[in-house]
Amino acid sequence: MNSLTHTHKAWLLLGGLLIATLPGWAGDQYQLHLASLIAVYWILIAGLNMVVGFTGQLSIGHVGLLCIGSYAFAVLAGKSGWHPALALVASGVLGGVCGLALGLPSLRLPGFYFAMATMAFALIVNDLVLAQVDLTGGGIGLPGPLFPAPFDSPSGFYYLVSLLALGVTWLSWNLGRHMWGRALISIRDNPVAAQSVGVAVFRAKLTVFVFSGVTAGLAGAVFASLQSYITPDTFVFELSLFFFVCIIIGGRGSIIGPFIGTVVLTALPELVAPLAKLGNFFYGLLLLVVVLVVPEGIGRVFDIIRERLRPRVVHREPISPDLARLDRALKYKP
Amino acid sequence: MLTVLITGLATGMLFAAVALVYNVMYSTSKVLSVTTGHISMLGGVFGAYAISVLQLHWTLGLLAAVVAGGAFGALTELLAIRRVLNRSDEHLWLLSTLALATMVQQAAGLWWGTEPKPFPRLIPQDFGVGVMDQKFWLPIGMTLLMAIGLELFYKRTMYGKVFMAMSEDAFAAQARGISTDRIRLMSYVLSGALGGLAGFAAGQLTFAFFALGLTLTLNGFIALAVGGLGSNVGAILGGAALGLLNAYASYWFGGEYQQTIAVGLLMIVLLVKPEGLLGDRQVRPV
Amino acid sequence: MTNTAQLQAVSVSRAFGGIKALDDVSLELRPGEVHGLIGPNGSGKTTLLNLLCGFYQPSSGVIHLGEQDLSQASVQMRAVNGIARTFQKPRLMPMLSVLDNCMLGAWIHADAGFMSTALALPHVGAQELDIQARAIELLHGVGLGHVMQRQASLLDHAEQRFLEIARGLAMQPRFMLLDEPAGGLTHQEIDHLADVVRTLRDNGIGVLLVEHHTDFVFRICDRVTTLNTGKMICHGTSEQVRNDPEVIRVYLGA
Repeated sequence: MNSLTHTHKAWLLLGGLLIATLPGWAGDQYQLHLASLIAVYWILIAGLNMVVGFTGQLSIGHVGLLCIGSYAFAVLAGKSGWHPALALVASGVLGGVCGLALGLPSLRLPGFYFAMATMAFALIVNDLVLAQVDLTGGGIGLPGPLFPAPFDSPSGFYYLVSLLALGVTWLSWNLGRHMWGRALISIRDNPVAAQSVGVAVFRAKLTVFVFSGVTAGLAGAVFASLQSYITPDTFVFELSLFFFVCIIIGGRGSIIGPFIGTVVLTALPELVAPLAKLGNFFYGLLLLVVVLVVPEGIGRVFDIIRERLRPRVVHREPISPDLARLDRALKYKP
Repeated sequence: MLTVLITGLATGMLFAAVALVYNVMYSTSKVLSVTTGHISMLGGVFGAYAISVLQLHWTLGLLAAVVAGGAFGALTELLAIRRVLNRSDEHLWLLSTLALATMVQQAAGLWWGTEPKPFPRLIPQDFGVGVMDQKFWLPIGMTLLMAIGLELFYKRTMYGKVFMAMSEDAFAAQARGISTDRIRLMSYVLSGALGGLAGFAAGQLTFAFFALGLTLTLNGFIALAVGGLGSNVGAILGGAALGLLNAYASYWFGGEYQQTIAVGLLMIVLLVKPEGLLGDRQVRPV
Repeated sequence: MTNTAQLQAVSVSRAFGGIKALDDVSLELRPGEVHGLIGPNGSGKTTLLNLLCGFYQPSSGVIHLGEQDLSQASVQMRAVNGIARTFQKPRLMPMLSVLDNCMLGAWIHADAGFMSTALALPHVGAQELDIQARAIELLHGVGLGHVMQRQASLLDHAEQRFLEIARGLAMQPRFMLLDEPAGGLTHQEIDHLADVVRTLRDNGIGVLLVEHHTDFVFRICDRVTTLNTGKMICHGTSEQVRNDPEVIRVYLGA
C-alpha cells in the first residue's frame, strides 16, 4: 500500500537494469535458460500470489492450469498451425476458463476441502492428458512450438518472457496497492470483518482465481516453448508445491517477496548440487521451517534483524479526538 | 464381475481406514492433516521391508508397520500441529502438514525407491484364487476390526471418553484438568498406529509404493467427506461408495477417469449435503 | 439530505437448538439518535445486534430498513445498505497499517473494477487519493492521527476499538452498531468515545450501543431498550429506563 521510497526505487532500477541486460552478462546458454525459466515461473506465481498470498486461498493445484496452458499452446500453435501469439492468448483464456470451472464449486469450501479439491484437479488434468492420446500424444507428449523471430533465439525468447513477466508483475502490483489489495487481504485475515465492510467474499475470491488461471495459462504456453517438448510427466504435483512454497517463503501480501522467493528457489538447486538430489525434500523442509519459525515469510526475518539493531521506540500517546475534523469528515459527501 | 466388486470393496475399505484415521486426529485437534495418507504408506513400506528384506516373520512386519505409523503420527503432532495450533492463523497447519508430508514422501522415495515393490504374502495362499485372495480380505477385515475397536474404545474405555470430551469442547476438557497436549499426542499415536496397520493389511493390494501417500490422503479424504466428518460409520460407507465407484468406473470407462469420477462424487455430495451422509451440520462453507 | 428511514427489528425471535436467545423482541433505531441496548449476560443483546447486521437470520419476525425487508439479506448486503458495526473483540487486519485498515471501510464506495485497478486507470488513482484523504480526516477525528502508519497488530486495545469505529465511518453508514465499545477503556477514553458518538448522532447517524457500562449508556443515550433472558422488559428514554423498577431489580441493582 505504501508508495515507493527513494531507496526502493533505486533498488528497482538496479534490478531492472540487471534483468534487461542479462543476456549480456549471463555466463552461458544454460544460465540464460534458467533466467527464462524463472521468468516463466514468475508469470504463473505472480498471479497465484494474488490467490495465495493476498486472499489466503491455499490452492495447491495450479500445475494443472500450467499443464492446460502448455498443451493448449502445443496443440494450437503446433498441430493446428495457429500463429504462436494467437495461441498464447488462447492459452491464457483457456486457463482463465478452467480457473473459473475449478473455482466455482471449490472456493466456497473450507480450507482443507478447498486444498484437496485443487490437488484433485491437478491429478485429474494429468489423467485426462494421458488419456486423450489423439489430442495430446498421451505419454509420448508433444513438441513445444517456437515463437517467430525475433523471439526464436534464446535471448529473444528471454526478452519475450521477461516482458510478459513484467506485465503480470505490473498488474498484480496495481491490484495489491489499491482498494482491491485491501479487500483481498481482509478476506485472508478476517473474512467476517470483510463481509461486514461489504466485501462480496465469494465473488472476489473467484475473480482473483480466474486471474490466476489466465496467468497460469500464459505461463504454460511459454513454458511449453521453453522446454521444447512436454509430456504429462513434466507436470508433476510437486511443481504445484514449488509455486506455493515460493509464495509462502517470500511472504504473503507482498509482490517482491515471492519474486525473490521464485528466483532463489529456482536457482538454488541448480547452484547447490546436493540440494538438487534432495529435490522436493528440500522444499518441504524449507516450508516447514518457515511455517514454524517465521510464518510471515523470510522478509520478516529482515524486519526482526532490523528491530534488533535499531529498536523502534513506540511512543504511546493518548487518544484525543479532533471532533471538528470528525464533524467535517462526516458531512463531506463525495 | 465379482472381481470388480471385491476389488472395489477392498480399496474402499483402505480409503475408509484412512478416513477413520482422519476422524481420530480431528477429534482431538480439529485438524485435517495432509500426512494422513502417508501414515498408511509407511505401514506398507516398513512392513514390506521387514518381511521381504529383513526376512522377519510377518508378525514382526506387522509390528514394524504399527510402530512406523505410530511414530510418524507422533512426529506429525509434535512437529506440525502442536506449535502451530495456538497461532492465530488458522491454516498454518495445512502448510506444516503439507510440508511434512512432502518430506516423508521424498525420504521414502530416496530410501525405498520409486518403483512399487510387491508386498509379501502373509498367509500361504495360491495366487490364482480369485476373489478369495487375502489381498482383498485383509483390508476389508482389518478396517471393520478397526471401526469396531474404535467404537469400543470410545464407549468403554476411560481414554476413549477423554478423547470424546476433547472433541466436544477442548477448552472445557482442559479446565477439568485434562492435559490436552498429551491427549492429542496420544490420539495421533493411536491413529498413526491404526493407519500403519491399515497400510500393512492393504499392502498386497496397493504394493509398497512411496507415492501412495498423496493418493490415500486425497481418497481417504473423499471417503471422509462423503461419509461425514466425525462419523466412523460414515467413513465406512463413504469408503465403500468411493471404492465401488472407482472399480466399476474403471471397468466400464477405463482407468484414466478414476480420479475424475471420485472427485465428481465428492463434488455432488458436497453440493447436495455439505456435511456428508452422516456428518453433523458443523462444516459450514464460507 | 435527510434520511428518515429507521432500522427496525419487528417481533424477532431467534432460537439456537433448543435455546430461545430472543423471544418476540422489537427495537427501532432512528437516524440521529443514540439507542442503548442493555441487559445482563445472556439476555440476547449481541444476538439482537447480530440479527440486525445479518450474521443470523431471525427464526420469526422481520428486520426492516425503512420500507425494505432485510431479514434474509446477507451481511455484505446490509453493509451496502448503510449498516456498519464494530465487534466485541476488534477484527482488524494485523499486517496492514492503521490507515489501510480505515480505508478498507470505503470498499463499498470504491467502484473501481478488478481490471481497471490492475491496469491502473486514472480514475482508480484519483479514487484512491479521495478515499485516503477522507480516511485521514476520520482517523484524526477519532483521535488516531498519531498512529496512522503503525501496523495494526501493534495497537493497544483502546486504539483498536477506535480504529474499528473509524473503519465503520469510512463506510459512510446510516447506522453504526457498536458492540460493547467501552470494554477495557479508561475513564478518559470513555469520555472521548462519548464525544465521538455524540458527533455521529449530530450528523444523522443512528447509533446502537450495546453496553455493560450503564453509566455511560444513560449518559449519552436518547432511548434505551432493556433485555432479560431474551425478552424485552423495558424501553423508553434514558430517564424512564433508569428508574424502571423491573430494570433495577434485574440488572442495575438497588
